[in-house]
Amino acid sequence: MADVLFTNVRIFDGSGDAPFTGELLVQGNRIVRVSRTGYGVRPPPVLGAQVIDGAGAFLMPGMVEAHTHFSWNDQPTLDAIQRMPPEEHILWCAEVAERYLDMGWTSCVGAAAAKPRLDVVIRNAINNGTIVGPRYLAASQEITVPGGLGDTTQPHLPQSEFAFGAIVSGAEEMRKCVRMFVKYGVDSIKLNLSGESITGMPGDMCQFTEVEIATAVEEAKSWGKRVAAHARSCNSIKRCVKHGIEVIYHASFTDTETLDLLEAHKKEHFIAPGLAWLINTSHHASEWGLTPEITRRMGYHRELDAAIESMQALRKRGVRILPGGDYGFAWTPHGTNAKDLEYFVKYVGMSTMEALLSATAWGGPMMRMGSDQLGKLKDGYLADLLLVDGDPLADITVLQDRSRLLAVMKDGVFHRAPEARVARSTRWAA
Amino acid sequence: MADTLFTNVRILDGTGQMPYTGSVLVQGNRIRQVGRSTAPISPGGATVIDGAGATLMPGMTEAHTHFSWNDAATLAGIQTMPLEEHVLWCAKVAKRYLEAGWTSCVGAACAKPRLDVVIRNAINAGQIPGPRYLAASQEITVLGGLGDETLSHLPFPEFSFGVNVSSADEMRKAVRLFLKYGVDSIKLNLSGDNFTPDSPAETTWMTDAEVEAAMHEVRIRGKRGTAHARSAASVKQALKHGIDVIYHASFSDTESLDMLEAAKDRVFVAPGIAILYAMLHEAEAYGITNAKAQAMGYQIEWDAAIESLKAMHKRGIRVLPGGDYGFAFTPHCQNARDLEFFVKYLGFTPMEAIRSATFYGGQIMMKPNELGLVKDGFLADLLLVDGDPLANVAILRDPKRLLAVMKDGVFAKSPEIAAQRRWERAA
Repeated sequence: MADVLFTNVRIFDGSGDAPFTGELLVQGNRIVRVSRTGYGVRPPPVLGAQVIDGAGAFLMPGMVEAHTHFSWNDQPTLDAIQRMPPEEHILWCAEVAERYLDMGWTSCVGAAAAKPRLDVVIRNAINNGTIVGPRYLAASQEITVPGGLGDTTQPHLPQSEFAFGAIVSGAEEMRKCVRMFVKYGVDSIKLNLSGESITGMPGDMCQFTEVEIATAVEEAKSWGKRVAAHARSCNSIKRCVKHGIEVIYHASFTDTETLDLLEAHKKEHFIAPGLAWLINTSHHASEWGLTPEITRRMGYHRELDAAIESMQALRKRGVRILPGGDYGFAWTPHGTNAKDLEYFVKYVGMSTMEALLSATAWGGPMMRMGSDQLGKLKDGYLADLLLVDGDPLADITVLQDRSRLLAVMKDGVFHRAPEARVARSTRWAA
Repeated sequence: MADTLFTNVRILDGTGQMPYTGSVLVQGNRIRQVGRSTAPISPGGATVIDGAGATLMPGMTEAHTHFSWNDAATLAGIQTMPLEEHVLWCAKVAKRYLEAGWTSCVGAACAKPRLDVVIRNAINAGQIPGPRYLAASQEITVLGGLGDETLSHLPFPEFSFGVNVSSADEMRKAVRLFLKYGVDSIKLNLSGDNFTPDSPAETTWMTDAEVEAAMHEVRIRGKRGTAHARSAASVKQALKHGIDVIYHASFSDTESLDMLEAAKDRVFVAPGIAILYAMLHEAEAYGITNAKAQAMGYQIEWDAAIESLKAMHKRGIRVLPGGDYGFAFTPHCQNARDLEFFVKYLGFTPMEAIRSATFYGGQIMMKPNELGLVKDGFLADLLLVDGDPLANVAILRDPKRLLAVMKDGVFAKSPEIAAQRRWERAA
């Protein structure tokens, strides 16, 4: 793999400092040198590297999606996910994985797969070069209870294949289920601790017994796996803290006690609220029969208001809030995930700098790679980079536009190389 | 889709005439004009590819493709691959075939029920790159026959790459299931194979009632029957029941050759001789020494096959390349080696070998009037080859010599373009 030198770029390094004009050298899969240039500063010479003259474009770390469902298939119902046969489903996941990388998400944290092995197979296929995709942490299916979110079986069609979740009842069933996913090779176990309004059990209700949760966490941790939870309700968030469930998805409903608890344990948890789902389900799903009147009745408007309030409070208390979540429905199609950053600025009160840091600097620990490998542009870090036409600090929405992402590099290799000026007449010489 | 003009190419058009210098204009997915002169066609808005004397020929057709064979050394090794990995494997192999110059492939059987259908659909939907493809069923076989990999204490059908039937009714049901899934062809294993010593190549085991039931269902839905048929008896059985695509046909007698000749306008033979050769001479690394291969009967079959296929070629029966690539000793994408074997052992001229991969390819793909030639109005499936395949057919399996591959008017492998040396980007 050829060395690459980016010259004449504005470097956003993920430290929180303002961007500076400089050069960045990639050797192999690592960033080896970041240097400032400017009037009177001569860049150190480099031999043998491919030179990319950025002409003032914005160079930033690749983004990390904290709540990814490759196997959600851009359909309007949960039922439609399971109507897809496994052969088509794996090809779909492969296609979506490439789309994420193409849109600048060089890392993704799997939040649940719709069939037992989809996430594991995709992660392995990315890692062995069979397919193209971001760095990936593979999740289990969502583990749930009969009648909970994820149980899409019907009374007359009770076969488990109809459900995108894995349904357990009792601590020993939970243990067996977790062990099966560990055997398959997942990186994380996903528990649905709260309900979800669209499924019948509202988001502010809780499912699972304490002993079921404790069993799952014990089993997962004994294998060194991470636990993540769908936790919308106040009580389910408290259970996450109590049981040491590291990744908290949604966290819509909070009270002072919950906020205090999260603040006290803020180094141990990540929050990915998935605001896109609440916003778009509430206001932009009429085309699929979910008019604002219906979603208001379902409770999504109330939850959206609560979630915004909770996230504003959590931000002020310094809890890590990350982008990503529940893209992969008809009204939140895969690849539009950078809208989360816009929502963070618009609704949560983040500065554009904070929003960018949430997608980059916090990505290293979120990917379980510590804080000295991934998520920043610094000497020795992995070379996951985006070259952006424009300034996301001035307009965070440029990251939603594929044509503004001039180049995407993962692990030192261009997934999408910057366009080169080529000779006008196409001519091949033998 | 941009139009493309190939100038300064030697056109090997597949009709049998010697190559000539000229230019070829592709508009949309069709060849619009073939110019027989050194003065090029006017490009209009087309991208001009100056071939600098390279050979332009029709894309090749593989007549006996198993995307789901996974380059393993054993038949059991195919089934140890889980479903999800198997689909991704097939997708990757499909892309490799296309890039290796096989712009069309005829599926000869897949290892799990829906693999071929799903891959064909994904190619046609533009989800994955791959050749034009006809999707096959699994191999339908009998208990203990080639394709039945179950063990007595592990009788589960998932262990087999084939589907076991016993009786005409079971056959009918199996065929209907595959037709429901959307296959283009039904594959029947009418004979054994020396790879499975308990059911060797010269055994023929399906009842006429079973074959008849299968072909009845196939005809009702307008699909095609294909057969694994190594023994002379199985070739005759295939012909008797109207099976058009005969794989292997190693053993023959005067009667079977006469029957083949009588049906030569509808029948295709794809012998797959690479695996016979590889088992005898190139499988030692996988535990199959020459002595062992001889004991399995491969020398006898090789000798018989050479004689049979030479006779078929003389009688004007269409013999096509392809077959049983996808084992450790016959890895995928070495398929053009079949053309070398045809020239070396079966008495084909290089021109005949190339026509068997191109002109006959359009016919076996059921598009005889629009695929397989470089001709006005034909589908733009083209290869740009560095060198003269008539002088050395072996160059067709060298990726470096395949300068470009076009399928349906779109480059699957683009010719390298002379670009400016320095990357420069203006934001």
